[in-house]
Amino acid sequence: MVTTSTPPGVSRVDLARLTEHWAEPRSLRGWFSTVDHKRIGRRYLVTAGVFFVLAGLSALAMRTQLARPEAGLLSPEEYNQLFTMHGTAMIFLFATPMLFGFGNYLVPLMIGARDMAFPRLNAFGYWVFLFAGLFMWASLPFGAAPNSGWFAYAPLNSEQHNPGLHMDVYALGLLFLGISTTAASINFIVTALKLRAPGMSLNRVPLFVWAIVATAFMVIFALPALNLDNAMLFLDRRFDTHFFDPSAGGNVLLWQHLFWIFGHPDVYIIVMPGLGIVSAVLPAFTRRGVVGYPLIVLSIVAIAIISFGVWVHHMFATGLPQLSYSFFSAASTIITIPSGLQIFAWLATMLLGRLIIRVPLLFVVGFIVTFVLGGVTGTMFALTAFDQQVTDTYFVVAHFHYVLIGGAVFPMLAGIYYWLPKITGRMYHEGLGRWAFWLVFAGMHVTFFPMHLYGLFGMPRRVYTYASEPGWGGWNLVSTIGSYVLALGLLLVLVGVVHAVRRGRPAPPDPWRADTLEWATTSPPEPYNFPVLPRVHSLHPVWDERTAESTGEGATADRILSEGRNTLLTSELDARVERPVPMPESTLKPLVLAAALLVLFAALLVAWYPVAAVAAVVVAATIAVWLWPAGPSRTSGVATP
Amino acid sequence: MTTTPPGPRARLTGGVLLWYGVLGGAVAWAVHVLAAWGLDELACAAGSDRVLAMPLGRVVGLAVIVPALVTAGSLAVAALAWRRTARAQATGTQDRAYGRSRMLAVVGVWVNLLFLTIIVLGGVAVLVLPPCQL
Ligand code: HEM
Ligand SMILES: [Cu+2]
Repeated sequence: MVTTSTPPGVSRVDLARLTEHWAEPRSLRGWFSTVDHKRIGRRYLVTAGVFFVLAGLSALAMRTQLARPEAGLLSPEEYNQLFTMHGTAMIFLFATPMLFGFGNYLVPLMIGARDMAFPRLNAFGYWVFLFAGLFMWASLPFGAAPNSGWFAYAPLNSEQHNPGLHMDVYALGLLFLGISTTAASINFIVTALKLRAPGMSLNRVPLFVWAIVATAFMVIFALPALNLDNAMLFLDRRFDTHFFDPSAGGNVLLWQHLFWIFGHPDVYIIVMPGLGIVSAVLPAFTRRGVVGYPLIVLSIVAIAIISFGVWVHHMFATGLPQLSYSFFSAASTIITIPSGLQIFAWLATMLLGRLIIRVPLLFVVGFIVTFVLGGVTGTMFALTAFDQQVTDTYFVVAHFHYVLIGGAVFPMLAGIYYWLPKITGRMYHEGLGRWAFWLVFAGMHVTFFPMHLYGLFGMPRRVYTYASEPGWGGWNLVSTIGSYVLALGLLLVLVGVVHAVRRGRPAPPDPWRADTLEWATTSPPEPYNFPVLPRVHSLHPVWDERTAESTGEGATADRILSEGRNTLLTSELDARVERPVPMPESTLKPLVLAAALLVLFAALLVAWYPVAAVAAVVVAATIAVWLWPAGPSRTSGVATP
Repeated sequence: MTTTPPGPRARLTGGVLLWYGVLGGAVAWAVHVLAAWGLDELACAAGSDRVLAMPLGRVVGLAVIVPALVTAGSLAVAALAWRRTARAQATGTQDRAYGRSRMLAVVGVWVNLLFLTIIVLGGVAVLVLPPCQL
C-alpha cells in the first residue's frame, strides 16, 4: 500500500469518512462479495489470462502434432476438440474478457468516477464469465469438448452428424457466457454516458473509453444473433426442431448468416479495445496527444457501424446473386479506410513526438507491424477470385492470427506493462520486459509467417496430420519451433509480472507523466479512486493545470461527497453535474445468482430437467430478492440494479 | 459554468438535427444494405424478377438512390453545423456545448462521406449486373 498524502483541499475527516465508506471487508465473505470495479477488473485479467494459458497449451499440443508429417501424438478426435477449444476459448474466454478486464479497471478511473454504474451487475458478470469458462473447459478431460471448429457450421453441428455432448457444451456454454458479456456491455455504456467527471464533454473523453463504449454497443447489437443461433441449435439437437435441417424445410445457410452477423463485428469487438489501448499508451511515450483526435473518434464510430454490413464476405463461397455480393464487397473494401486512418494517426504521433523507448512502446510498434501485415492479407481476401483459392487453407490461419495477435495480444501486452504500476503499485523490470518483447515478436512471426507459404502450397486448415509427400514438413517444423519461442516469451511476461509484484520498486502515482485521469490518483488507487472527483478542462486532464487545481486547493464538498458511498451523475453530452448518486455495498447476491445459473446450465446439459427446473426457481427467487427495494436511500439513481 | 443562452445561429449545436448530421448516413446505409440485399435475394430465390409489378432492377436501384440522397442531406447538415460552430467559437463563446458539437460535426462530415462512397460503389453494380445472375 502507498501512503496517501492528503490533497490540500480535503480535510482529514473527509478522507477518514471516504475510507470508512469504501473500504473492502477483509474477510473471506468480503472477498466473495466485493463489488469494487478494480478488484473485478483484476479478476477478469487473471481469469482470462488462465484461459489464455489453457488455450495456448492446446495450441502447443497441436503444433507439436503438426511438427512433422504423419505424427501420432494426437488422434483425429482429440485434434478436433483441441482446435475447437483453442479457437473458441481464445475468442470468447480470453480476448473479449481480457479487454473487458482492462475496461473494468480503467474506465471509471479514466472518466473520474468512483465505480461502474452498476457495481453489483459488474460482479455478477464476472462470476458468470468464470463459471461459463469452467463449464466449457471442464468438458475437455471427459472427451466431450466442442469439436466442430469455433464457427461450428451446420450441418456438422447437428445431432445426426455429431452425436454426444460436444456441441451441447458449445451451445449452452456460449449462451451462458453471453449473459456476462451483455451485462458488462450495458454497464460500460451507462458508466461512460452518465458518470463522467464534470466537464468531460464528448470531445474530452479519452480514446480508450470511446473504444470501449463503441465495443459495448457492438456487443449489444451483435450478440443476439449468436444467442439466437445457439438457442436454435440446442433446440434442434435436443428437442427435434428443424431450424437447420433442410430435409425438413430448415435452412443450413441460416446458421452461417446468423453466425457471421455476429462473427464479423466480433473481430472488431476484439480488436477495437486493443486499438484503444494503443491510443492510451502512445501519448505517454511520445509526450504529446494522439494526432487527429476527432478523426480517430470518427474511425471508431465508422468501424463500429460498417462492421455490421460485411458479414456476407465470409460466405462468398455459398453462391448468392452477384448483385447482392456487390453491396458487401463495397463495405468490406471501405472499412479499411478508417482502420488505416488510425494507423496513420499513430505514425504521425510518433513522428511528431519525442519517442521514449520503453517496453510498452516496443509492443505498440510490434502491434503496428503485425497488424498491418494482417490487414494486407485481409484485403487480398476481398478479391473474390483469390478468396476462392485460399479459403480453408493455412493462409487463412496465418491471416487471422496476424490480425488477432497483432490487434489484440500485442496491445494487451503493451497495456499490461503500461498499467502494471497503477494496478500493483510496483514498477516492472525493464530488461526482463525487453527480452519478453523480442521473444514474443520473433516467435509470433516465425510461427505464423510460414503458414502463408504452406497455405499457398495447398495445406488445408483443420487437419490433424498430413502426408510427407507435398513437402509441407519443413515449414511446419519452423512454425512449431516458433510457437515454442513465442510460448517462452509469454512465460517471460508472466515472470515479469510476478517479479514486479514481489520485488518491483514502488511506483509513484504517475511514473510515465501520462495524460489521462487514472494517473491523477495513487498507485494502486484507494478503494474510492479519487479523494476529490476532478473537474475536467481539457482532453489531457493530467497535463492541464486547471484540472489539477480542481483536485487540490480547488476541491469542493460537492466533488468530495464524503457522506456515504457516492459518485456524481452528469449529463450525457456535456457532463454537466446533475446530482450525486449512492452506490451499493458489497453483497453475495451476484455470486449466488451466477452459481444458480451454473446449476441450471449444467442440468440442461446432462438433461436432468427436474434439477434444471429447481435451479430456474432459485434463479428467479434470487433475482426477486436482488431487485427488492431495500429502503428509500437505495431506490434512486443508476446505482441500484 | 458559463451558459450563454443559445442564439438562433446555435440551434444546430444540439438536438435532432445535429444527430441527423452525425448518424443519418449510417442509418441510411444500413437500410440500403438490408433493403437492396433482401429484395434481390428474396425475389431471385422466389424466381421472380418483379416486385410490386416493378422490375426488380429498378426497385433495387431505388433502394440505392433514396438512401444516397438521405446521406447527402446528412452530409450537408454536418457541414453546416461545422461552419456554424466555427463562427460561434470565433465570437469567443465559452460554452462547452460548442466544442462538443463541433467535434460531432467533424465526425459527421467524414462518416457521411464514407457512407456515401459505400452506397455509390455498391450501387454501381446495379447498372452493370442483371439482378439474379449467379
Ligand atoms: C499463442 C500462440 C498461438 C498459436 C501457436 C496458435 C496456433 C493455432 C493452431 C495450430 C491452430 C489450428 C489450425 C488448424 O488446425 O486449422 C489455431 C487455430 C485458431 N486460433 Fe490460434 N494460436 C495462437 C494464438 C491465438 C490467439 C491469440 C487467438 C485469438 C485471439 C487464436 C485464435 C484461433 C482461432 C479462432 C483458430 C481457429 C480454430 C478453428 O479453426 O475453429 N489463436 N491456432
Ligand atoms: Cu469478416
